[in-house]
Amino acid sequence: MKLFSRRQLPLTLGLVLATIFVVLPLGSAAEFSLREPLKNTHGFDNYTWFFVAPDFAKYLGISFGLALTSALILLVLLVPTVVWLNLGGSKYRGFVEFVSLLPLVIPVVALAIGAQTALPDFAQTNEVILAFMYAVLAVPYAYRTMDTGLRSIPLKTIVEASRGLGATWFHVLFKVIIPVIRSTVLSALFMTLALSLGEFTITSLLHWDTFTTWVTTMSQSNILGAIALSVFSLVSVFVLLLVISVFIRPTKSMVISEEN
Amino acid sequence: MSSTTLSLKAVSRRFKDTIALDSLDLDVAQGELVSLLGPSGCGKTTALRIIAGLDQPNSGQVFVGGENISHLPPNKRNMGMVFQSYSLFPNLTAAENVAFGLTMRGEPKRLRVQRSQELLELVGLPKHSKRYPHQLSGGQQQRVALARALAFEPDVLLLDEPLSALDAQVRANLRDEIRALQIKTGTTTIFVTHDQEEAMAMSDRVAVMNQGKISQIAKPDDLYHRPANQFVAGFVGQMNRIPARVNGTELLIAQSTATVHPLSEVNSGEGLALVRPENVVIQSLKGQQVEGNAVVISRAFLGPISKIVMRLEDGSEVSSVMTSAQSTEFLSGDSVRVSVTPGEYLLVEA
Repeated sequence: MKLFSRRQLPLTLGLVLATIFVVLPLGSAAEFSLREPLKNTHGFDNYTWFFVAPDFAKYLGISFGLALTSALILLVLLVPTVVWLNLGGSKYRGFVEFVSLLPLVIPVVALAIGAQTALPDFAQTNEVILAFMYAVLAVPYAYRTMDTGLRSIPLKTIVEASRGLGATWFHVLFKVIIPVIRSTVLSALFMTLALSLGEFTITSLLHWDTFTTWVTTMSQSNILGAIALSVFSLVSVFVLLLVISVFIRPTKSMVISEEN
Repeated sequence: MSSTTLSLKAVSRRFKDTIALDSLDLDVAQGELVSLLGPSGCGKTTALRIIAGLDQPNSGQVFVGGENISHLPPNKRNMGMVFQSYSLFPNLTAAENVAFGLTMRGEPKRLRVQRSQELLELVGLPKHSKRYPHQLSGGQQQRVALARALAFEPDVLLLDEPLSALDAQVRANLRDEIRALQIKTGTTTIFVTHDQEEAMAMSDRVAVMNQGKISQIAKPDDLYHRPANQFVAGFVGQMNRIPARVNGTELLIAQSTATVHPLSEVNSGEGLALVRPENVVIQSLKGQQVEGNAVVISRAFLGPISKIVMRLEDGSEVSSVMTSAQSTEFLSGDSVRVSVTPGEYLLVEA
């Protein structure tokens, strides 16, 4: 592709601008976090403290735990729903799409206050509530990802074929559908993971402590350290997603076979 | 083989205001291949889906080997099915696809591997066991789907237009292969198609369906030569519709006389004679003392045979087929004399 041909020029310009928009602040943050003002050099001093900080592992653990739980909740909630919508419940699709968009429309503050006032006490005193809230926040993205994935395969035929071959509904779901759309399910999962790991507003409003709130607290006393920590978490999540996307390639088989 | 008989008793299915199946009865003998043939919307696929358990009838029962299986879900029916669209599991290899039914039945791995290899050999793909569906052509995918449907020795094999997505050459080959395989395994088979040539070439019997009912079920030859009604006559094979007149025991057709067929629907007055192109006889006027009654419009060369289209004096068009060698003497614009082979027509009301 000629990047500078007349037709590609607007695209190229857009790409360059977008790259600057994303890379510049990140690069600046990274550069800033590497500064060592006392020695007047650059180095990794700001990156070493948090590995030994007593709460680092604890809050990281909490955040990962919550993220995994919310991903699991979404999986259990969304896979059967989306499969059902694509198999026979299509007349409810409009309604489900509307509901799935609500978390984007309703301000997070309203969600948090709603949770505080509406949920029973036992739910308010257990931090697992955060996993449910994260799951709600991730619904708009996860639902769309899964729906697109399921629409790209001849779901009805595959389900009927497996039923005809003797599969129970349990087998259909776990041995056929989920393996077939595994890359889609995984993208939805990692989207939820990433969103949960970085969530701050609801966590803070509901007065719970996770990795993000810990980083915020730390930044008030150690600005360089906090930025180093942010850069570190950003890079680690990026690497994690990269590794996953390399190992889990999308199933291209259906796309090709339909052309045959 | 565990193949057995299949019966449908008064099966009806309605979709809102449309009647897809109207008290359908069907009996299929053990090892028999019966085609359900008909235009789209005639209910043939609905019938197949009800047999498979993928759809529920509003009333009526399905029997396999004399046992009522109407209440059983599809996974308990022991039927192999091949779909129109490619239905292989994209994440499994050909061998794993073939073994799927056996896996669901809890068969040991050794048997699954052995059986899937056997089946892949049977459908002519012994070296493709490790390929994924996207690495196979359309015809190969349907072969694997067929192997998958046969691997667990189903009571009944259900084929839902399995050839319609394939190109002509592959289609013709696979058609013969499916039939050979069906005879070899002796599996009772229902074959749904809208392609009459396919149905005629493959089936022991063909059921022509129209508006949720079977118009006629018969051997291909009988269906062709002795259609039970106008719908079957028009749907199966090509049919000329020639205006005719009954006069006592005499039939006037294309200005020639013939004897009235005993099964004719019309006893007197105007009617329509349904005549197969091969029963339309053309006589050249060259060197003959006969009067022409039609003009040749066109001649289409179809390999061993050719089709000649003519216009009768009343303006209606009639086509005739003959060997290509015979057809060379007829050219566009020629006056000819057309007659009908005695007895080889069906007279219906105009």
